[in-house]
Amino acid sequence: MNREGQVTLDSYRLAQYAVQVPCYICSGPNTFDAELCRNCSAPMALTYQAETQKVHPRILSCIGTSGVGKTVFLGMLMDMLSRQPDDMRLLARGAFSITLQQHTVAALARCEFPDKTPNEPERWNWVHCQIHQTRRRKPIELIMPDMAGEALIEEVDHPDTFPVIRSLLTKSAGVMILIDASTLSGGTSDQDYFTMKLLSYLLELVDDPKHGWHQRPVSLVFTKADESESCFENPLEFAQAHTPGMWRHCEERFQKHKYFAAGVAGACANVRRSDGKLGRVPLRIEPRGIVEPFRWLIEQVWS
Amino acid sequence: MFSSLNPAVHVRRLPGVPQQGKIELNPTIVSVAVASAVCMAIAWVAGVPFIGGGGAAGMCYVGVKLIAAIARRDKQARHANQSRHDKSEPTVANTELPEDIDGLAVQMLSQGRYALLLRPQLARNLSAALRRDAHDTLTDRMALIPDGQLLVGQTEDADQIDSSILPRGRVVTVQRFFLDRYPVTNKLYQKFIDTGGYEQMALWDQQILPGVLDFVDQSGTPGPAGWCDGRFPKGLENHPVVGISWYEAAAYSRWVGKRLPTDVEWEKAGSWPVELAATNRPGRRFPWGNAMDRGRCNIWGSGSEGTVAVEELATGVSVGGIHQLVGNVWEWTSGVFGASGFVSRDYKDNIPLRTIRGGAFDTYFENHVTCQFQSAEDPVARKHNIGFRCAVSVCDLASGNPEETESEERSTVNEEESPQAELTEVKA
Repeated sequence: MNREGQVTLDSYRLAQYAVQVPCYICSGPNTFDAELCRNCSAPMALTYQAETQKVHPRILSCIGTSGVGKTVFLGMLMDMLSRQPDDMRLLARGAFSITLQQHTVAALARCEFPDKTPNEPERWNWVHCQIHQTRRRKPIELIMPDMAGEALIEEVDHPDTFPVIRSLLTKSAGVMILIDASTLSGGTSDQDYFTMKLLSYLLELVDDPKHGWHQRPVSLVFTKADESESCFENPLEFAQAHTPGMWRHCEERFQKHKYFAAGVAGACANVRRSDGKLGRVPLRIEPRGIVEPFRWLIEQVWS
Repeated sequence: MFSSLNPAVHVRRLPGVPQQGKIELNPTIVSVAVASAVCMAIAWVAGVPFIGGGGAAGMCYVGVKLIAAIARRDKQARHANQSRHDKSEPTVANTELPEDIDGLAVQMLSQGRYALLLRPQLARNLSAALRRDAHDTLTDRMALIPDGQLLVGQTEDADQIDSSILPRGRVVTVQRFFLDRYPVTNKLYQKFIDTGGYEQMALWDQQILPGVLDFVDQSGTPGPAGWCDGRFPKGLENHPVVGISWYEAAAYSRWVGKRLPTDVEWEKAGSWPVELAATNRPGRRFPWGNAMDRGRCNIWGSGSEGTVAVEELATGVSVGGIHQLVGNVWEWTSGVFGASGFVSRDYKDNIPLRTIRGGAFDTYFENHVTCQFQSAEDPVARKHNIGFRCAVSVCDLASGNPEETESEERSTVNEEESPQAELTEVKA
């Protein structure tokens, strides 16, 4: 290759670098060959898919404290929707979207819970999928990230610590807030307080009277409800009894909200691991109430 | 089978009850009456008043005795009518015990307590026909699982698990036993409740006695968690009973003269291992074979969102003729989770959990419904997807042939203390 050709090629590459590619999540500028957004660490594959396939997926978020079961909930939701011959089916877009489902299901089948989601956004699992419904002609394009609970707490307590969380929740069309029913049944109120913090954070994030969070749908999901049968029977009563602060908050500030109960493990047991520490493991997998909150949210967002 | 057990066939005349319309008279009274009449005749002919007074006194005595006999006859006739009425309608709600052994046995048969009748202590008092009926019912309702060896304690992905925490597979020997062909249904459990099973303290474990009061249904009446007013939900009579704790399952089992199966017994009934060599005892993963077929059992994705009747899914029957071992409802066993060393983990729970087997209609993974998979639950938990079936050891039963009783009685052992499925550990 001659010298002129070399110069021409370099110019071409420089030209590509000169054009900034906006991140689909935070709209921050990135180069054309970036894998992760340099601003929020979201995978740039989301942007490339949106551009090449001419689709603009909407975002649904799943949030809650650390250990509340976000990874298990999302992983099971994906697996159930992709396996069940129901009126609602899920089809993953891109190989990276299957990782969450794969890891979660593999762990649960071994009667283990999946590993804790790391705080670093670049190590989170992101899901880009299509939701097919028999009564809709076009599939719904969705992005659902599996956020780390500790990162969420950090962001709520110290805003802008994790810009990706701020961007995601600003853009989300709806949210599923997971609340640990087993600790609430035990008499502790931490879950109540943290959920109130999350709700306040959402309201402050977007205070637009037309498109603010008080107008967006919020499904409040009591997880690990298999340990408290009364929660399954009437989640609203459970919320009034065990999370009075959160219930009052939702009643007064959120126009579209609904309570749900969900459980994945039929029962859990304490086990001593090989390192000598005690851990909790599921004894069997019996998903209950996983699809309902998601179905309600979809209907609210795309009604 | 139960159609042959028409109670009317076995109703016999109660001993001691006279035939209606007749008065039984003592011969002494007849003699006194004749003598008195003779005395009075002589006195009238001979004109001796002393003899005539004696004859009159004798006639008075006879009259009093006659009146007493008539009153006794009427009373016995009323009693006999009442007894016949009781025996002709041995309904479930009838808790009055018949006075004769055969009537009681017929009532127990109608309640499904045939195994109790076949205990050697009771069987020797039964008529040959009743004993045969009880035995026929046993073989109709329960399947015989032959004795043999079973390899337990190995996981399917043993190669991938740290061998230091995985227990070695070991071989256990299981004695012959009978296992219910179907899980206990709502209809059968209703009989237990109607006869006051929750009030019969002798049926319950000592430690749970204060807790029995808490085993109530939605209306606060003793019964499974999902019932109301002591009745099962309409249309579910042949569905397996659920919403019962381990203690309730154990109490019912005692009431019918059976017990809960041990872990290894349950696994042997399902996997049906065949001993090909000293170290080779392949057992099936599922009762019908080694490949999952969701059309043969009721688990998540099979198309049902709840329990199905016990006679459905007949294609999932085991080699021994046992239905729905896999799917529909989990089944309580008598085993304590982790105690037998069959699991690879070191479980540390404050409350000893009881093992459950077989998976339920909402069990998600196929590898959780294999014959080898073991899960567990708090023994007082009353879950919507846990039921049970009963077992009884062959050595605890008398045979259908009364002539064999003598030899069997010698080998009878106490139910609670006997090694129901004695596990003889052998090196794998």
